[in-house]
Amino acid sequence: MNRYLENVAVRRVLAMVLLASAWEVLSRIGVINPFYAPAPSEILRVVFSLFIEGTIYNHLEATFVAALAGLVIGLALGIFLGFAAALVPLVADVLEPIMLLLNAIPRVILAPLFVIWLGIEISSKIALAVVLVAVLIFFAVYNGIKDVNQLFVDRVRTLGGGRLVLLREVYVPSVTAWVLGSLKVAVGFAFTGACVGEFVAATRGLGYLLQFAQSTYNAALTMGLIFLIMGFVLVLFFCAEVVERWLLRWRYRGTDRRVT
Amino acid sequence: MLRVRDLAVGYGAEPVIEGVNLEVASGKFVSLVGPSGSGKTSILRAVSGLLTPRSGGIELNGSRESLGFLFQDDALLPWRTARENVALGLRIRKLPTKAAESEADAWLARLGLGGFGERFPHELSGGQRKRVAIAQILALKPKLLLMDEPFASLDAIVRTRITQELLNWVEREHLSVLLVTHDLEEALTVSDTVYLLSQGPRARILASYNVAIPRPRDIFASRKHPNFAPLLERLWNDMSGAMNGAEFEAQR
Repeated sequence: MNRYLENVAVRRVLAMVLLASAWEVLSRIGVINPFYAPAPSEILRVVFSLFIEGTIYNHLEATFVAALAGLVIGLALGIFLGFAAALVPLVADVLEPIMLLLNAIPRVILAPLFVIWLGIEISSKIALAVVLVAVLIFFAVYNGIKDVNQLFVDRVRTLGGGRLVLLREVYVPSVTAWVLGSLKVAVGFAFTGACVGEFVAATRGLGYLLQFAQSTYNAALTMGLIFLIMGFVLVLFFCAEVVERWLLRWRYRGTDRRVT
Repeated sequence: MLRVRDLAVGYGAEPVIEGVNLEVASGKFVSLVGPSGSGKTSILRAVSGLLTPRSGGIELNGSRESLGFLFQDDALLPWRTARENVALGLRIRKLPTKAAESEADAWLARLGLGGFGERFPHELSGGQRKRVAIAQILALKPKLLLMDEPFASLDAIVRTRITQELLNWVEREHLSVLLVTHDLEEALTVSDTVYLLSQGPRARILASYNVAIPRPRDIFASRKHPNFAPLLERLWNDMSGAMNGAEFEAQR
């Protein structure tokens, strides 16, 4: 038994099972008011019924499409603008103050504006997710390039490499580590953008469903949806980690035969 | 091979070096010694084109492609394998990737790293990384090697071994070398001429020393040559004077 407890994953699962069991018992004997915190079994029942009745799929699709489109467009835009600002000083002069301002404010306050500009359909949710992700990635790329080891730049230049070779051999690989370091946060931001956008004004999506659950004081549905979103984000975190380990495989390989 | 005339280089208001004149004849090994901050590395950077001089001229017999720069740090790209690092310069010079990598393998084997081509720099020891860096430079067949204390970070045994191997290669291929070093003994052991720089800023060449020890050289045997000890003593005294900022009077 002790051997199993040495495993971090086993300890974590055990702690969660214990917490859920205590919550279940306390809820059933009336110590916790189920109106505010329904028993885990009730939350599970509500989530399962959403899947069995099929009502969730339309909402899942809306949120996933908005979040993933926002993530992809935000990544592309952030990387492009980050490179442009880092390599062309004129672009940096214009972009840096705008990005600093966007970074300083809680960007979700733009949600109502996007609804006015783009309507209550999916495009306003994508736009919010794009802004959240792009600003994050912009700074990862911009700072990543500014932090590039000058030694590598000198090395490639003395080997005869020009700007294109520097970009391919030094800047892009250096920045990849920075971008991948921010990828997990970007996944969370993309879902934040999609859900908040749906929360403000929408006809479908997990955020819309959450808004409905809150307005009807349905705590079981609210908590079920929160856990559902957390679960999906965790799955995407895992995917982001797989991508990171593949793209940065040079960093992870052969640590067992490192020689000093 | 290389002639530097009235060179001035600086980063701020005051130049680090000023009025520097030196020459590296074809097939000759020249070293630059001097106190810290005397601008030794700046001279190499200016010659390699990494730094734009404030004034003065750098005349090279051939294009900058004939230069090879060995840094103090091995400066290998950590995301490239040893083979890819060596092949990088060849690919930049338009050799197809396959040909560049097979050439890189041949160079790695020549430097005792056959079978290490697939390893990333972090999977190699300090000495092995240095050999990869040497292979990367030699694969481009340079005529003039610029070396900025390339082996300073290595332990004594590996350092001696690699220095001897590189010296053998330089003598066999009749390469010209401009070496920056803090180590006076190393400078005298490997060089034909040693230049002493004054304390910066506005550092200048204080004296040059002709090292009359026959080639090919063995770095242990060279230290026992009758010319070595007196020259070392002279260089040591002059260097101490330069470091103390004393008025310099070279006894040539």
